[in-house]
Amino acid sequence: MDRTAAVAKDEPAGGATPSLAKASGSMAIATLVSRITGFGWKMVMAWLIGINVATDSFTIANTLPNIIFELLLGGVLASIVVPLLVRSQQDPDGGAEYTSRLLTVGMTGLAVGTVIAVAAAPLFTAIYVDSSTDSANPGLVTAFAYLLLPEILFYGLFALLSAILQAKHVFGPTAWAPVVNNVVILATLVTFWLMPGDISLDPVRMGDPKLLVLGLGTTLGIVVQAVVLLPALRRIGFRFRWTWGIDARLREFGGLALWILGYVAISQIGMVITQRVLTAAAKGGVTIYSNAWLLFQLPYGVIGVSLLTAILPRMSKAAADGDTQRLVDDLSTGSRLSAVMLVPISAVLTITGAALGVALFGAGEAGIEQSQRLGHALAFSAFGLLPYALVMLQLRVFYAMKDARTPTLIMVVMTAVKVPLLYMCGALVDEDQVVIAVLLVNSLTFVVGAVLGQMWLWVRLGNLHSKKVVKVIAVCVLAGAVGAAAAWGLSAVALPTVDSLTTAWVNLLVQGPVACVVAFGVLVALKVPELKPATSRITRLVRRG
Amino acid sequence: MERVVTTRRTEYPVGEGAAGNQARPGFLVPGSAVGDGRYRLLAEFGLDERVDAHLWRAQDNQLRRDVGLTLLVGDPANATAAGAARKMLERTMHAARITHPGTSRVLDVLGPGNGIAPTEGLLGIVVADWSQGTDLVDVIAEHPLPPSTAARLLEPLAAAVELAHHSGMVLGVDHPQRVRVTPDGVLRLSFPGPLPEATLQDDVRGLGAILYLLLTGRWPLRNAPGLPHAPLTPDGQVVPPRALFPYIPYELSSAAVRSLTDDATGGIRTSSGLLRVLERARLNEDATQSISAIPDDTDAEDDDGALWTTKRPHNDRAKRRKLAIGVTALAVATVGVLAWLGMQLISFFGDDSAGAGGPTVVASAPGNAENNPKPPNPGAPIQAAGVQVYNIKGTPDSPRRANRAADGDPKTSWKTDKYQQPFPALKPGVGLMAAFAEPVPFAEVVIDSPSSGTVVEIRTAPSEKPGLDETKVIGRATLQPGQTRLQLDSAEPTQHLLIWITTLGEGNVSEITEIGFLRAQ
Repeated sequence: MDRTAAVAKDEPAGGATPSLAKASGSMAIATLVSRITGFGWKMVMAWLIGINVATDSFTIANTLPNIIFELLLGGVLASIVVPLLVRSQQDPDGGAEYTSRLLTVGMTGLAVGTVIAVAAAPLFTAIYVDSSTDSANPGLVTAFAYLLLPEILFYGLFALLSAILQAKHVFGPTAWAPVVNNVVILATLVTFWLMPGDISLDPVRMGDPKLLVLGLGTTLGIVVQAVVLLPALRRIGFRFRWTWGIDARLREFGGLALWILGYVAISQIGMVITQRVLTAAAKGGVTIYSNAWLLFQLPYGVIGVSLLTAILPRMSKAAADGDTQRLVDDLSTGSRLSAVMLVPISAVLTITGAALGVALFGAGEAGIEQSQRLGHALAFSAFGLLPYALVMLQLRVFYAMKDARTPTLIMVVMTAVKVPLLYMCGALVDEDQVVIAVLLVNSLTFVVGAVLGQMWLWVRLGNLHSKKVVKVIAVCVLAGAVGAAAAWGLSAVALPTVDSLTTAWVNLLVQGPVACVVAFGVLVALKVPELKPATSRITRLVRRG
Repeated sequence: MERVVTTRRTEYPVGEGAAGNQARPGFLVPGSAVGDGRYRLLAEFGLDERVDAHLWRAQDNQLRRDVGLTLLVGDPANATAAGAARKMLERTMHAARITHPGTSRVLDVLGPGNGIAPTEGLLGIVVADWSQGTDLVDVIAEHPLPPSTAARLLEPLAAAVELAHHSGMVLGVDHPQRVRVTPDGVLRLSFPGPLPEATLQDDVRGLGAILYLLLTGRWPLRNAPGLPHAPLTPDGQVVPPRALFPYIPYELSSAAVRSLTDDATGGIRTSSGLLRVLERARLNEDATQSISAIPDDTDAEDDDGALWTTKRPHNDRAKRRKLAIGVTALAVATVGVLAWLGMQLISFFGDDSAGAGGPTVVASAPGNAENNPKPPNPGAPIQAAGVQVYNIKGTPDSPRRANRAADGDPKTSWKTDKYQQPFPALKPGVGLMAAFAEPVPFAEVVIDSPSSGTVVEIRTAPSEKPGLDETKVIGRATLQPGQTRLQLDSAEPTQHLLIWITTLGEGNVSEITEIGFLRAQ
């Protein structure tokens, strides 16, 4: 919460401290570039390798180190270690000893964890992959996992080094390092493509050059991402010394971290079942899921986050104050602004989903059918954008009220709803289409989460102006429906069916703007009052950016 | 959620990175510690730019309670700044003797070497009781207050100033962000710390400015950026509040303006003068309120039409919890139904790609069995005992799904792998071997498939895993979308029948939804 608080406070102070404003501007660019390149290598991968069992295996194996790192260190790092690192700057030695100790103990622990994880790679495969129906290739997942799991160590190194740099107010290198990682992976993909032959699927041979290039290259990306921080570390004059032991201050914390860790762990249950259902169903499912999910998050990442940065700091301040009414006002405003911006976008995604999928992924090896399925998955889950944003907003409110328990319990309920529905997907839907149903379930789970969060906030805070929020959402859904209907009507009359890259782009470029303009036009015509602050905030962002 | 995992690389550095980015000194961020680590900063509430005093809410790590901190930022090497800060701290210490609801209790005054480490970049910290409530600026953010409310809010603060002035001390109420509104509806000086040069007159001017702010929502002094400034008349005076809002009583309006003016003529120079005006305004209002019952707290009613109260009866919460559980259960049930409907819709969408339906095409027997001019007549359908993938080179294609092609369910199917190149680039073909309980003479095979262009051969086989050359072709056809009936040459009864794909369908993949076998009569 406080991260964003600082971002927004930057605005009024901007005039007095131009250099800092500039620094945050260049960081925004770094984030944008790293997001684009990150999405870029996923697309290139689909073009060059396809949406099939090979990319599925890679995708699963590539999320493993992330998950394990998150469970081992991630939550603890953000909630305990970083605040302490900032505080240790006031030690007589400027925090040098604490930092050395953190690196020594943290990296040793991670190294041990990494060794165990690599040894347990077949176990992870068994957990995440349901190979009973033969549409997955557990051997290949395990092979990739052996090559990719060492990333854990370097994720940890990167996280610790960036925390140290940030405690010293050095931000540039940590913002740009992920871009370097993405570039390395892109280069890896090109090398992979240039190499002759195919990945040997049956049997999987560890010595297979293509397999090695892809696995080692991806790991190299994370290594480079961590290593590029070292010169910056030397520049701030940090010298590493082996220092063992646990700092007494670490014991001050505890309960909070445990709940946050519980949150991550429970969300992983949902993730595991999702992967099992997908791997049991059809080849390419995991790849489609992960890419559709990335696309789904994009509008929230761009619009949702920037809209909310202005509201979040005020909200956390009101929560810290115990000023319920102001907190409720801000929560209501945040919800309504999200609705006005995100619901029309949901409509656009619903109507252009298939075209978007083919337009972005329907080249090279990926094929029209699989990329169209990706688009359908996006279309069927797009309605979840607003619930997703609301869940995120409510999460911040709970954390601002120093309540880490309720979000974890909400996650428990969401997972309890999600798991049976996921199995229902596997049972009811044709296996090729399972991935679409899985994303649908995903979005429905966010609906449950949003309702649950709203209800428990109501229990805690009293009247939340929910009626007002629901009214705005209803108007937005109407506007979105009109926009979608207009685009659909147009496509039925004048547009070709999506069956190639060209027709996809034609559809996308015609339907997208039409749906967008009509939907927002309806909102303007209905004089929705939330539209003005939303648009003015966006234009301000654009002008500043 | 998965978000945590998938965007880790980009989100982590940027989010954290932004944290230290704001204040000029860079170290005053939520979560950082000041005062030798004793106070942890929670949220910034303002900035008095005249002396670079940052106003923060913080937590006292030793006593575990919230405090309001006035942090004097500056370089200890700068003698002028250090001197000014020292003077401020001294004056604060003197003013700390005042105990009044209109001002927060000063708990501690810290200076360099006395609670502040030399490396902190701070010249002094004033630690005061934290006052719950709302920022003054937020109270007037939406609209100015009714005059009577303004007078009532300000009175205790004016009384506190009056008390301080009696002992000859300056309180320092001339900055809007230093003042907060408590839950019981009075103004309180929450961040005490009079400026080094401040005079008694400055306190009175400050009170007048706050009154002006409460009445009009504008700030008439020059020291508070972020608030709209009061409009000026051509001769440089602030416009009286009454000129902006005619409903403001003359007395209050003129009191606000008169406390702001410097000149001796007609100005209010003492806090007691202002206090008297405020008292009178309140009494007047109390009198008129019994006649014209205009509730001055109209904003208590919120837009939903529901009455807002901050204090609720306790058992209400238990009731709400029950209702919340009910609504949640309802939402879960609705979502379950929606999920089922959605999946039906997805299946419906998927159906047009799966093969079921379409005309039945009949392919006649190849007739290469020379002594049988006429194919046998089809009789009753027969169920295969088992179906397996028959593969002679490379990886078998989805072997565990083979039985889906003969399970009587047109929704399930068996599919070949998707190949880069057509057969026979990687393998000569791939097939399904059906086994039967006893040797049967076959007349027809009906194949239901969406993959048009697929070429299949029906072959009899001597065993379950024969070589391809041991099998004998008795039927051949190019599949059409939907059902294709393959009439067979009559042959010896066989226990094993091979459906052999020699050419793949569109996209180098073939799907077989269902295979039916008919024995010869």
